[in-house]
Amino acid sequence: MASQLLPLELIDRCVGSRIWVIMKGDKGMHHAHMLEQTSIDLIAEFSGTLLGFDDFVNMVLEDVTEHDYSGAQTKLPKILLNGNNICMLIPGGMPDGDE
Amino acid sequence: MSAPAAASNGAADARDPSGFLSEIIGAPVTVKLNSGVVYKGELQSVDGYMNIALEQTKEYVDGKMRRNYGDAFVRGNNG
Repeated sequence: MASQLLPLELIDRCVGSRIWVIMKGDKGMHHAHMLEQTSIDLIAEFSGTLLGFDDFVNMVLEDVTEHDYSGAQTKLPKILLNGNNICMLIPGGMPDGDE
Repeated sequence: MSAPAAASNGAADARDPSGFLSEIIGAPVTVKLNSGVVYKGELQSVDGYMNIALEQTKEYVDGKMRRNYGDAFVRGNNG
């Protein structure tokens, strides 16, 4: 099985390219519901250019759009994203028109 | 560039998370926790747990400034 691509190898191939990051559900929707009276904006998704990552899948991202569950978008020039709450990574970034 | 472990051995690479952190020491930063609370201040230091020390820290809850701290320590597990 020499052709098998391991998960972290897939992410390594994404360095320098756009990537779409979806955070864990319980840090998003469910948590947002519990805290809806305080209406703290909880982060759902990020889309940006992957500059690097480490063994914990902490990531450095550039030209980032942050999407929260209220639908609001925030542009961020460069961020370090903690790997703790990442659920899914999609190479290629968000579909066109969503950013 | 094969495994991420190999990449993180080159400690001076400003593109990986630890290199990026050492590059921005002394800069004004925004730290957003899991809870959505935001801390803005000057980044004094960071360690391997991603514990963070900030100076002249302002705390924002729901976009509004709540408190001011001279020095603040943020424990790394808060994201």
